Amino acid sequence: MIRTGVFALLITVLTVNVKAQQGYDASLIPKDLLPYASSVVRLQEVNMYVKDLNNSTYHIKQAITILNKNGDDMADIEIWHDKTNVIKYVKGTVYNSSGVLIKKFSESDFEDVNANDGFSLFNDLKVKHYQPSVTEYPYTVEYEYEEREKQSLDFPDWMPNPGTGTAVEKSTFTFSCKPDFNIRYKEINLPSAVSIATDKDGVKTYTWQVSNLKAVKDEPYSPNPEKILTQVKIAPVKFTYERLDGSFSDWNGLGKWIYDKLLINRQQLPAATVQHVKELTAGITDPKLKAKKIYEYMQGRTHYVSVQIGIGGLQPFLASDVDQLNYGDCKALVNYTRALLKAVDIDSWYCVVTGDHSRKTSMLTDFASLQGNHAILCIPFKNDTTWMDCTSQTIPFGYLGDFTDDRIALACTPQGGILLHTPKYTADGNLLEHTGNFILDDNGGLSGSMKSVFKGTEYNDMDDVIQESLKEQIKDMQRIYPINNMIVQKLAFTQDKSLHPTTTEDITLKAPEYASIANGKVHFLLNPINRMNRAPKLVMNRTTDLYINEGYTSEDEITYTIPAGYRQYSEPLTVSIKNAFGTFLATSTLQGNCLIYKRKLQVIDGTYPKESYQDFVDFYQAVVDADDYEMTLVKNN
Amino acid sequence: MKKTLLLFSILFFVTLFAQAQDFNYGTFTQEEINMKKYDKDTSAHAVVLLEHGRSQIQPIDDENIDLVYEYHVKIKIFDKGGYSQGNIEIPYYSEDGSTYEQVQDIKGITTYQDENGYIKTAELDPKKVYNQVDSKHWSRLKFAMPGIHDGCIIEYSYRLTSPWFEDFHSWEFQSDIPKVYSEYDVHIPAYWNYNISKIGALPLSKNVGVAESDCFEFHGAKSGCSHYTYGMKDIPAFVVEDDMTSPKNYVSAINFELSDYYSLTTSSNIKVAKNWKDVDYELKHAEYFGAQLRRTGLLKDKITPVIAGKTDDLEKAKSIYSYIQKSIKWNDVRGRGSVDGIRKAFNEHTGDVADINLALTTGLNAAGLNADAVLLSTRQNGLINRLYPIITGFDYVVCQLTISDKTYLLDATDPLMPFGMLPLRCINDQGRVMSLDKPSYWVDMSTPQRRNSTYHFNLTLHPDGKIKGTMTHYSIGYEAYLKRQEIKKFNSVDEYVEYMNSKSTKFRILKSSITGVDSLEQAVSETYEIEIKEFKNLDHDRLAFDPYIINRLVTNPYKLADRTYPVDIGMPSTIRYTLTMHLPDGYTIENAPKNTNLGLPLSGGSFITDYHQDDNGSGFTFAHVIQLNKSVYQPDEYPYLKEFYNQVILSEKDELIFKKK
Repeated sequence: MIRTGVFALLITVLTVNVKAQQGYDASLIPKDLLPYASSVVRLQEVNMYVKDLNNSTYHIKQAITILNKNGDDMADIEIWHDKTNVIKYVKGTVYNSSGVLIKKFSESDFEDVNANDGFSLFNDLKVKHYQPSVTEYPYTVEYEYEEREKQSLDFPDWMPNPGTGTAVEKSTFTFSCKPDFNIRYKEINLPSAVSIATDKDGVKTYTWQVSNLKAVKDEPYSPNPEKILTQVKIAPVKFTYERLDGSFSDWNGLGKWIYDKLLINRQQLPAATVQHVKELTAGITDPKLKAKKIYEYMQGRTHYVSVQIGIGGLQPFLASDVDQLNYGDCKALVNYTRALLKAVDIDSWYCVVTGDHSRKTSMLTDFASLQGNHAILCIPFKNDTTWMDCTSQTIPFGYLGDFTDDRIALACTPQGGILLHTPKYTADGNLLEHTGNFILDDNGGLSGSMKSVFKGTEYNDMDDVIQESLKEQIKDMQRIYPINNMIVQKLAFTQDKSLHPTTTEDITLKAPEYASIANGKVHFLLNPINRMNRAPKLVMNRTTDLYINEGYTSEDEITYTIPAGYRQYSEPLTVSIKNAFGTFLATSTLQGNCLIYKRKLQVIDGTYPKESYQDFVDFYQAVVDADDYEMTLVKNN
Repeated sequence: MKKTLLLFSILFFVTLFAQAQDFNYGTFTQEEINMKKYDKDTSAHAVVLLEHGRSQIQPIDDENIDLVYEYHVKIKIFDKGGYSQGNIEIPYYSEDGSTYEQVQDIKGITTYQDENGYIKTAELDPKKVYNQVDSKHWSRLKFAMPGIHDGCIIEYSYRLTSPWFEDFHSWEFQSDIPKVYSEYDVHIPAYWNYNISKIGALPLSKNVGVAESDCFEFHGAKSGCSHYTYGMKDIPAFVVEDDMTSPKNYVSAINFELSDYYSLTTSSNIKVAKNWKDVDYELKHAEYFGAQLRRTGLLKDKITPVIAGKTDDLEKAKSIYSYIQKSIKWNDVRGRGSVDGIRKAFNEHTGDVADINLALTTGLNAAGLNADAVLLSTRQNGLINRLYPIITGFDYVVCQLTISDKTYLLDATDPLMPFGMLPLRCINDQGRVMSLDKPSYWVDMSTPQRRNSTYHFNLTLHPDGKIKGTMTHYSIGYEAYLKRQEIKKFNSVDEYVEYMNSKSTKFRILKSSITGVDSLEQAVSETYEIEIKEFKNLDHDRLAFDPYIINRLVTNPYKLADRTYPVDIGMPSTIRYTLTMHLPDGYTIENAPKNTNLGLPLSGGSFITDYHQDDNGSGFTFAHVIQLNKSVYQPDEYPYLKEFYNQVILSEKDELIFKKK
């Protein structure tokens, strides 16, 4: 009976395919889909069928027309697979601009390699890939493949329009399952809601469909694409994953499953290590200081190496393995730190979060599913929750930085999952200060020293530089400070790793011929230190809101002792701008023979209406212009 | 008989005991443990204490003789900056899953001092060595050393066996960290002969060659070996500098090229590469090279319609060139020979460099023109050794066409490349012209191409403070090719103009006209009607104006105190700016820029500024030109180049002042 049901379903799908195959003529693409598109998805059909908890089928059929060379990458077919997701078949056809078949391809044309995720030493996920080569544009690649998945937890999201440069004529997503398999789903930016049908055998089919989606244009300072693009997420109620059963209907349930099935019993440490950390913390009574000691101990004896094998990259290595190997990925290091803290009776929580420097991405509070890409640790001290990223050997205890700050994470506790908001770094707290004292001599030479202070998310700006040799550090300084002919005479960094950490840089420098001398006048750039070189690019007909991820404050005060017998020839600099998203002040004042240059730029994070983007560009352009201000001095007669 | 004599003559060398010994695995001294930094380079995060390699040709079983390479290294890691030395990758050649090269006996051990000062060791678990498949042909074994701590010593070794004598392991003495001592130990049975060359400036501290008796036996055939030992001590880290061609040209290393061997299976002497005559013969008859160049029949069918009705040779050549450009898409693979043949490349519409350019050469010849293939080494691949033929040193092939007395170098891998121009990657030293009917010879790869860019501004200052007018930008020569690439990144010219407008916050583009995008041999000309909001109003007595409207240099691109390697900018270039400015009535110009004429020694380049005020004072013309006449500047020219740019920057600080009369 069940078998017939499946057949019926497949036959329906096939009939649709046959009908759709006509008309890959590129000239039939609606004209309004062409702007900003280098490829157009003509037809996409994604079908997920859950036969059993450990047996589902993923089938995709797609026809995509490549309009020019920039779209070639979209014809690169990549099929991810591993022991749990097995490719059943793949085949495809290439059509020319008028839709005439020019070539067929099959699985034997594909190359099978290990996935390269860019950060792992090893990842056991593999990818079969093939890109048909066609020299004349436009052309259309139609392909389909099917994978059998021995799990029912991690269903791929349906995102018909995956990124910039691709328009979509039509895309459908169907999810089918037997009557006893229940799902929850989340529709994001769907023009029309799901349609649900049940056949005579009780097989439920959910169908979503979109058509005529225009290509997304890349707009700077735009919000997370996941907030703008069409997307459907599916989560099971009951599932099997790598031979582990489970069920959840909310974050509490998912967190509980992660705790019970993936995290429990992985914290055993060798007795010697337990003994050692006990001795290490003996005499410390403040639990927070104790935790700090443990964290620093962990940092001192581990480093980050990512190896993704086994349960879908979800389960951490054993703490005892990390203890012996001295390395691990984020999950393994969080689990290890938890074990060390446990050894001195401090409870902590393993937390899953989406790490992203450029956009704050939270767990969807109203929809629990496998989300996130990173693990961090949280200690629920009374009224003082403390967070730790365990993958760095250098950051201070309690420091998250802009990779995981200010977003919702999932804490996996013995009592179940809890959604927690990570701490936010404020525009006032993200501080970069420069205080310099320079002498400008009458040959145009500049010499003096400067102190720079970095706080908040700016704290770790210099971490990579600090790691380097002095020789490389000096090259970096020449890149950071655009002072022509700069010779670094002294350079030192100090880091205060307290709960409100600070990095301080002290530099002594000289730069012969910094100023140019012509016709008895001395010309020099007033701001050689902290220059904004370019405003964000203009966007015509912007469609997305203005999104500023992190706010910051930058304050500079540079005092120049100007050569004797000279006075200001140019007008003093006075710029003052205030906007919803920021303020900018820049002034120069002459006091005796001291020319004092002050600059303060503050940008406030947040989401602003798209109409304010032009103001934002103008604001930065004003900063660029002010930073380009040339001071001219002239000799007193 | 003759061959046996040859072998004996080698054995007459005095047999010495070569003291090239691998160091003992797992040993360390207290001094090494206590080491806090490396005295000869205190900035090093890690230092190789000892490194030993051994290559030997030896039978591995009854049927096979393999090249066996053993590697063993001991590294001191001082701090976190050196931890990456503990992540190891061993690439090897494999095909469709069945291994061709084999990596065996991987061992690793880390020695460190624990928190209590006790010395501990951690051994590499063989189960934690991972095999990563990168492509059809290449895989890598990867592992992370366990037990990494500040101050630890890591040590690992492995053996790699390979069936290819041609690819005798070279040895790089220099790497990204310094080395105390590095040694390579090479055993070559008398049946094989290699050309051995050393590159890089650092001297060997040990260079010994001795004869070993009875070191090789295979099915009763016995021979002695030449045993070479190359050692180097106190090796500095290799630092990559900007504008540098392949580091391979400078890293101190020993390379081997098989010249001939006595085949024990066929009992014959096989010359691999002795002189160019042999190489010419071999390539001419190789399936991957000469055979493809003789496929004129295949090409004739394809090009006949392409050149139909054309009588001029150059016209024919250009149409064939453009036909190949459009017919086979480059798969980004470089190569000196066509692996699967040009027929397949035509069928699949894709191929590597050799497929494309051998097809081009064959096509030109099929049309009765005179074309030859030219082997070369790309910039990335390094300079070619010209002392004796090393075929494996080439990684690219282009085509040389001769029409009457004029020769053209052609590369059809990029549909945007104009006829007669080469991509930058090919412009490297010399190439070898391989003709089917003449002996091969060297040709200079430095073609006469240049990058030229010309900007014309014709602007008027309006009473409302705005500056309006036109900006015309001509991109000429190689610059036009680069410009086309930039424009083609957009789906249409309109989208490109939108991008130009969005990135230039200084001025607004009101109208545009772009020509020459699709005719590859022309200049690309972009004309923009622009508006600059220069001044809020003209209610000032003096207005400061920066005549360097775009691309003003603020800092010197050359910052080093001195330079070790040549600065290679690829090809000469000229950037020319001309600004014509009209002023409203009632303004004069104060502070006119002084004229400059700066030169680099030996006509290496020049910087010229030229200011002309209109006779009636209503405006001015200001031109400036930066010209670099060389492709390569030697280290001793570096200070001049640096000072040249310094003067450019100082000049560009000049401002003009418009003064109310």
